[in-house]
Amino acid sequence: MKTDTINQTKAGMKSTQLTLKRKWSDTLRVTLRSVVKVKGGLWGGIFVGIMLVCAIGAQWISPSDPNAQDIVHRFAGPSLKHFLGTDYLGRDILSRIIYGCRIAVMVAFGAVTLSAIVGVFLGVMGGYNEGKKIDYFIIWLFDIVRSFPQIILALAIVAVLGPSLLNVVFALAFTAFPFYGRLARAKTLSVKEADYVKAAEAMGLKRIKIILRHITPNILAPVIVCLGMDMATMIIWESGLSFLGLGVRPPTASWGIMLRNGYKYILTSPLMILWPSVAIAVAMVAFSLFSEGLRVALDPKERER
Amino acid sequence: MLKYIIKRTLWVIPTLVGVLIILFSLTYLMPGDPASIMLGPRATPELVEDLNKRMHLDRAMPVRLGYYLLGVAKGDLGTSVWSGHKVSSLIADALPHTILLAITSLGIAALIGILLGTFAAVRRESPIGGVVTIFSLLGVAVPDFVAALLLMLLFCVQIPLLPALGAGVEGDLVDIAVHLILPATALGIGWVGYLSRLNQESMLDVLDSDYIRTARAFAVPKRAIAYRYALKNAVIPSITVIGLGVGKLLGGAVFVEIIFSRPGLGKLIVDAVYARDFPVVQGGILVATILFVFANLIADISYAFVDPRIQYD
Amino acid sequence: MSEPLLEVSQLTLDYNLGSRKMRALDRVSFSLDKGQVLGVAGESGCGKSTLGLAIIRLLPKVAEIRRGEIVFDGRDLLKLSEAQMDREIRGQKIAMIFQNPQNALNPVFKIETQMIDILRVQDKYQNPGNRKRRQDFRQQAIERLKGTGIADPAVRVSNYPFEFSGGMKQRVMIGMALSSGTSLLLADEATTALDVTIEAQINRLITELAAEYGTSILYITHNLGVLSEMADRIMIMYAGRIFEMGWTKSVLGSPRHPYSTALLESLPGRQTRGKRLLSIPGFVPPLDRLPGGCSFHPRCPFAEEVCRQEVPPLIEVDKGHWSACLFDQKRGRQKWKWI
Repeated sequence: MKTDTINQTKAGMKSTQLTLKRKWSDTLRVTLRSVVKVKGGLWGGIFVGIMLVCAIGAQWISPSDPNAQDIVHRFAGPSLKHFLGTDYLGRDILSRIIYGCRIAVMVAFGAVTLSAIVGVFLGVMGGYNEGKKIDYFIIWLFDIVRSFPQIILALAIVAVLGPSLLNVVFALAFTAFPFYGRLARAKTLSVKEADYVKAAEAMGLKRIKIILRHITPNILAPVIVCLGMDMATMIIWESGLSFLGLGVRPPTASWGIMLRNGYKYILTSPLMILWPSVAIAVAMVAFSLFSEGLRVALDPKERER
Repeated sequence: MLKYIIKRTLWVIPTLVGVLIILFSLTYLMPGDPASIMLGPRATPELVEDLNKRMHLDRAMPVRLGYYLLGVAKGDLGTSVWSGHKVSSLIADALPHTILLAITSLGIAALIGILLGTFAAVRRESPIGGVVTIFSLLGVAVPDFVAALLLMLLFCVQIPLLPALGAGVEGDLVDIAVHLILPATALGIGWVGYLSRLNQESMLDVLDSDYIRTARAFAVPKRAIAYRYALKNAVIPSITVIGLGVGKLLGGAVFVEIIFSRPGLGKLIVDAVYARDFPVVQGGILVATILFVFANLIADISYAFVDPRIQYD
Repeated sequence: MSEPLLEVSQLTLDYNLGSRKMRALDRVSFSLDKGQVLGVAGESGCGKSTLGLAIIRLLPKVAEIRRGEIVFDGRDLLKLSEAQMDREIRGQKIAMIFQNPQNALNPVFKIETQMIDILRVQDKYQNPGNRKRRQDFRQQAIERLKGTGIADPAVRVSNYPFEFSGGMKQRVMIGMALSSGTSLLLADEATTALDVTIEAQINRLITELAAEYGTSILYITHNLGVLSEMADRIMIMYAGRIFEMGWTKSVLGSPRHPYSTALLESLPGRQTRGKRLLSIPGFVPPLDRLPGGCSFHPRCPFAEEVCRQEVPPLIEVDKGHWSACLFDQKRGRQKWKWI
């Protein structure tokens, strides 16, 4: 009898799950539509879109091979063949900017996703076990990592692991996960008091299922907003680490490496600094506007305004 | 409130212990053999062994951790593998440059930012609002190392007005100040943008609040309301941000110091990373982190003083 | 008693919100005698608070006074400059206390700091040239607090607002607002946010102090029950217009407007024991979409064609009792009755 009811409820839950899943695509569409409605959100969205297109389709979009050297035409100004000119090895700057966009988006997206997954996992675990030893341990862990100045921690990790794309992603994710963790923990504390969680507990649902099905989906909105804002920060840091020579390795095209080369040749070719700076500036503004739109779109209080 | 302050302060201890553990394990994993770096490739095995023994490099990891913690507790951060100088004296040389840079840039940025934000909120029709928007856009769009590069390009290369490298001759205040202009500007622009926008928004909120209406209903003059009553309320969010900023800049002026070749803490750490000089990396990060932790602590505590409402658990 | 202190005539006020224009007050006329308590009642959004803010001239920027006069002590307040308002009126002759005591005091300053500031401003205007010391003002603040029944005022004065309960904060506000010089107190929902028992205490305090200083009160509330105890006269407002006005006894005893009756019937009380309380169907219409004719007609069960066409005039239906209901004016009050 008892198992019957539970099975029934489980079946019921499954069907709501299905509808939830179908609704997710709707939610995405509605959210994007309201992002676009926010002042500036449209432009942010457009430029974020352009960056994604550049990142995914770099090999089809860029006018030439980013690593093809043309020593005779080094330090060339803008021309029809090289829209933005060439660098100290005669490589096409525009192509390198486009390929650099791929690196920036890859690193930022990877780091942000990784840190959000780890952070949310730990945060939910801590919040769900509020007041227990594991919770204190998790808080302690968050506070330790937050105690380091972020960029210094990141460069120390890269220094230990050696500069490479994956290691940069890992280092950046390691410095950022406590922020997601604290956010997730705070949200979990409020969500876990909700009736549907209490009901699920009363029905004897396993804790892992409660966490996965009932808590996690309900704390994702602020995390997603945070993801959007962090993309911009991570792009800066990828460039920064690469600028220091502690990011991705040359000859890979990265905005930071381009700036590093520009710094070396600052007396010869000012354009080598200018173009990657413009790329970074556009990326920053685009992601800030987009994430601001996202914040307003996902916040029911803001949407009413 | 006292209870909160004590609790908040005591919490620093376990955090710092954790920091030490992480730092130690990081540098433990760092590639490169200190002995061969210090003694060169042609060192005899006996010399290497002797050095390893002196630095406890031949012992098991927990023992080394113990020696490390003991050293830190005694204020001994070790010796540079490269130069043979004491790490603590290297840091003591570098720190003043970083502190001067951080405090100058953030202090001026805070002053300008708060003034701009307040004026923009009090005189809504004036063009100051536009200035705030421009600064906050710049702050978002131009990270400090990009700003540093562009400033250098503009004021050292295109129009050679200001010195590009170094921190100035010791003792020559004018020279030091001139060398400070570009780095401080590069670091400060973003903070001006952020703080002015933050202050503008909170000031607008405060000016619309009930207690400001109360003051008006009792004929407290508008100017007194804006600059005496409202400002204190509106500045509260900025205080935390500034506190965080000091900590961040003390440990995080890395890029600007590298670009302008200022011999500060950030440059010390990065150069040590390049040279695999791990005692310096370890000590530098430790000091930067301690400064960061205490800046945050001070920010939290001063926040408690400014805003008596805070509920603490 | 018959000397008018405040005479508002034909006061008409719009809120300009972008393209929308909302008429928040429509030809509002009334007078308030010295020492009298006038209660203003109505549902939220009917213009009561706007009226109070208009008198002390603290309207938001979007508000625009179209026409009308607010004559106080023989002078039209609408013609005074901001500086004159500050120097002679605000906090001096007219004081205002607001709905939410939680937010009415600045959270980051001590009570004494805020009171001393206000006392200093008042003193500066009253006795220019004669500078008092901070200590004197502090003493004065303590006296004021003592007058409002706050225990241990000398200690409490150096507390922060968050250390006070809502009722205590409202006492502080009253202490700041009422002094021997105050001739008019505007109380805007001053006790709405408080518990019923505290509300009664605060209302008693207001009445006592006002009686002591000969202060008139414009008491704005949505609670008719409170008014029955403290108001001399009552004014019922709806969507920016006065619907009914008269002596408390006659308005509450024999209301001449269906809206006032409905407000009364919706009140739990002695007469209604055992009966179902009335709830008025519908809600106050948004001010930028007011219906034509009598603005209450969509919610009024007695509305006829004429109510949809004509704006009912405010007519003296009894001695000193004014009402604005066409139905009542044409057919007499026996013809309409809520269930």
